[in-house]
Amino acid sequence: MATALSALRYAIRSRTINLHYTALLKSSQYRAFHVSRRVDVVKPFLLADIGEGITECQLIQWFVQPGARVEQFDKLCEVQSDKASVEITSPFDGVIKKLYYDPDDMAITGKPLVDIDIQSEISEEDEAKLAGGEGEASPADEGEAKMSSGQQEMEAQGGAEAGMAEAKEVKSDTPRLAARRPTSKSDHGTLATPAVRHLTKELDVNIGDVEGTGRDGRVLKEDVHRHVSLKSQKPETPEPSAKAPKTREDKRAPLTPVQSGMFKLMTRSLNIPHFLYTCAADVSALTALRKKLSGANKSTEQKLTHLPFIIKAVSLALQQHPLLNASLDTKDPKKPELVYKGAHNFGFGADTPHGLMVPVIRNVQDLSIVEIAVQLRELSEKARNNKLAPFDLRDATFTISNIGSVGGGVVAPVISEPQVAIVGIGRSKVVPAFDENEELVRKEELTLSWSADHRVVDGAECARCAERVRSMIEDPASMMVNMR
Amino acid sequence: MIVWNSACRSARLSTRPLTVRRCLSQRTLDRLTDPVQSYISTSRDPYLNLSIEHFLLQQSAPESVVLLLYVNRPSIIIGRNQNPWLEVNLALLDPSSHDQSYSEPPGLGAVDLVRRRSGGGTVFHDEGNVNWTVICPSKDFTRDQHAEMVVRALRDCGIDRARVNVRHDIVLDQGQHSLTIGSDDTHSTPYQTPEADARKPLKVSGSAYKLTRQRALHHGTCLLSSPNLNIIPHYLHSPAKPYMTARGVESVSSPVGNILLSNERFIASVQKQFGKLYRSIGDAQEVGDEWQEHDSVRKGCDELKSPEWTYLQTPQFSISNQSDTLTDVDLELSVRNGVISSGFCGTRKSGYSGAARTGLPAGLDGRRLHDISSWDDELGGSLPSVSHDRVTRLCKWLHMMLPPPIGRPNTHFR
Repeated sequence: MATALSALRYAIRSRTINLHYTALLKSSQYRAFHVSRRVDVVKPFLLADIGEGITECQLIQWFVQPGARVEQFDKLCEVQSDKASVEITSPFDGVIKKLYYDPDDMAITGKPLVDIDIQSEISEEDEAKLAGGEGEASPADEGEAKMSSGQQEMEAQGGAEAGMAEAKEVKSDTPRLAARRPTSKSDHGTLATPAVRHLTKELDVNIGDVEGTGRDGRVLKEDVHRHVSLKSQKPETPEPSAKAPKTREDKRAPLTPVQSGMFKLMTRSLNIPHFLYTCAADVSALTALRKKLSGANKSTEQKLTHLPFIIKAVSLALQQHPLLNASLDTKDPKKPELVYKGAHNFGFGADTPHGLMVPVIRNVQDLSIVEIAVQLRELSEKARNNKLAPFDLRDATFTISNIGSVGGGVVAPVISEPQVAIVGIGRSKVVPAFDENEELVRKEELTLSWSADHRVVDGAECARCAERVRSMIEDPASMMVNMR
Repeated sequence: MIVWNSACRSARLSTRPLTVRRCLSQRTLDRLTDPVQSYISTSRDPYLNLSIEHFLLQQSAPESVVLLLYVNRPSIIIGRNQNPWLEVNLALLDPSSHDQSYSEPPGLGAVDLVRRRSGGGTVFHDEGNVNWTVICPSKDFTRDQHAEMVVRALRDCGIDRARVNVRHDIVLDQGQHSLTIGSDDTHSTPYQTPEADARKPLKVSGSAYKLTRQRALHHGTCLLSSPNLNIIPHYLHSPAKPYMTARGVESVSSPVGNILLSNERFIASVQKQFGKLYRSIGDAQEVGDEWQEHDSVRKGCDELKSPEWTYLQTPQFSISNQSDTLTDVDLELSVRNGVISSGFCGTRKSGYSGAARTGLPAGLDGRRLHDISSWDDELGGSLPSVSHDRVTRLCKWLHMMLPPPIGRPNTHFR
């Protein structure tokens, strides 16, 4: 049965190859009419994102060689990243022209994997998988999932499970004072004669803990006895309180993919001379407006936090201060250039179990406050479930950090290249203040902390923008008259 | 009548026979198209179980969801892209091969070494460990969902310390019960302690994945009642590790523990949670040795058993004894795809190497590392400038670091 099926499949496949040949011949004779675009040129096919914010993976094996003819969905190669081995298939029919990596090399997400001479019609979304003009920039240059610095880090922390027991006894439910295992052991550390091993079992000691002083680091009986007497001197505190001073061991850990990305990005940000401008906005009116809107709309989906309002206010202000939405191009250090970006793509910080990710809301200038709120919700959800695509993490022109969801008053946020500004929003708090009649009133205050690149933005410009945002937040009605 | 029979027989022989001997039953093949499938293996053979798993990955209908549960006899399973010389103490795998005066034989008998097709690190399987596999469509796949399913299965059996950690492993928290945190969240328990290193949680299950265009496979172990927890570190600690630099995925070691639950209870609970998750009440189908009869399963088995798959899939690495102060002849070998590709050999001069280096001894270049059964034979004659004693010591070192794999004849050093 299975063989009949495979025979049938083979027959169909060979027939489609013949069809391709005839199609090629035809196209050379006269121009065919195509509804979708036809590409008869060699293009690089990029390695797509395989999830988890992973930006590099190891190439395990190729299934094709240059010159090989592939059909749509044929396997091209297998790659490996920490726990996942992934098969990459070709989205097009065509001929492989060039392989960009050797087996065991680290392949980079978003960079070319193979050159393919495409001989089929391709859809819009397939075009996106190919490189544009020059080589594509790493997919998340504006976001947090970055290229890890050096494959050593990637491989070291990429490892998964192993059954290596770390000096724990078999019964997992008897609470033990954690036996501190020496971090670097010699290979010969577990060498011991059977007699010594018997002794360790008798005395309920793990031989891995005992430092051997015998030949080749062997554990001798005296070592075991000495270990036991040392152990009994240690205080037995089941509660991890600070009363009994325990020797705390250092723990080395390589950086996670998200941390590596952050490391690389923030190291580049060291070049930016930041200045900080903070201002406190009175959000009492905003809070009242939110309460009114939430009261009117019973569904929880419609509940608005202050963040979408602030985002819209910043976007409106940036229309008068486009410098803060610009991008600084320092490719040529002698001739730096500012690119005033047309779209307002705001990155916002999302705290996920894996660390900080910065998804991007695109074209905020065209979105209503409700639409912004929906985007925030969707992107945060995706970030939490690690479903962010590289597209969601790049092309930000401005960043908003809502650290106030955790806490904070004044913060000094760090700008991500090539943006020139960032605003951090603290936690709103209720404070006493004086109104125009010099009477004590209750005010709800929110601090906005602006950081800008002092190479291109001066304090006054930033301050003016900040004050404009503040006045819009303090009087939401003024936002309405400026909205498109 | 006789003529009729022989005509029939020759007709049957001339085409590929379609009897049960070569193919699984039609009912089994039909089941591959069911939207929800549940299987349980009766075999303890790791090669067969992994091949059945791979067969299910490739042949089950693209929109279907499959559960497979299996238990292996004692074996070490390394990840798709791992290095057996780095991860495993190969000398221990064949108890008849190692020298008893150096280490106590753990008494487990022969232990298989298997390279699986999914990524990730090295694990030790035995009868106290149950393996679970879920295969689902790629578009619905997230790394946590099935680990969460297994945690719910464990909590159903009363194991409320179980949770999924950030690495998608299942751990048991070791802290005191804290009444303030109580949750139905599979990612936290009331036993979590906020401090970083007071009572690390014990890992009881590790995961690995294989992703193809349409299907995603997630499989994991589950340490229920392994009698071998003390011995596992010996198998998974390779003496060669400090001397190697390697590409590929390294294992991340964690403290492990047994859940202390019977295999049967765990299996029943996982099947129930699977049924709940995918809204299906079907029974689990048994799979076992009869699947060896199927061509592609058998081919898969043969591939997994072959030394080419086990050893030649190793990413590039090199081993050098320069950091070992006890040896006095420098040796460095680079191994690519399991084959010795380059290296050098030379005597050390007052702690600083480089003075008397020669290239690789002739017999070694291009040799498959797992084919070498005696280092003495390989190096014995090829270092004439070096004294016999030193060569012997070097060979002894090599024998310890790169022991011949199981089943190969080898010579011992006394």
